[in-house]
Amino acid sequence: MKSNYLFPYSFRKIGWILLVPSLLFGIIYMIMDYDLGFIEGTAFAIWGEENFFDTVFFKFIENDLTDELIGIALLVGSVFVALSKEPVEDEFIQRLRLESLVWALYWNYGILLLAIIFIYGSPFFTVMTINLFSLLLIFVLRFRVRLRAEQKAMGNEE
Amino acid sequence: MTQAELAAQIGVSRQSINAIEGEKYVPSTVLALKMAALFKMPVENLFELEPTD
Repeated sequence: MKSNYLFPYSFRKIGWILLVPSLLFGIIYMIMDYDLGFIEGTAFAIWGEENFFDTVFFKFIENDLTDELIGIALLVGSVFVALSKEPVEDEFIQRLRLESLVWALYWNYGILLLAIIFIYGSPFFTVMTINLFSLLLIFVLRFRVRLRAEQKAMGNEE
Repeated sequence: MTQAELAAQIGVSRQSINAIEGEKYVPSTVLALKMAALFKMPVENLFELEPTD
């Protein structure tokens, strides 16, 4: 895994600034049943829907842009945090990153499988929404935990 | 030489030196050769094969 495909370390902080508020807003938004005041806007729908019934293509539609804004901020923020370089990049860190990614893949899709089997109807829509972002977030969590564990292991020696 | 100094001289993180010493990580050939060159000894003096390898 080459670190050439990663963002510079400076992107990490930008990512967190995007990620944390949008994640909080997103959770609140979902709890409030997707009703947080209307951010009126016009969106260009390559593939969209009007009035809950009519599918449209390549049309400007009226839309509540709240979910788009939250989603964009959360996605871009998560990508920046997940895929930015460490201050010191070396083969060991890259190995940790790869292992964390595989770990996250297993857990994300394992839980999704259970959700498919045990969750039905509208609640499953919640599952799908979470699933949009869960892989990145699980990876970030795991990678940070692994790095912290190595840091701690270091504190014992010199 | 401390772990931090060794890491700085080779250009890797302190975590990797710690992990190599703690036998949690096997370095690449290039990294092992760099370490050997730094200590001015053959690579076999620093690393050896385990029966399980």
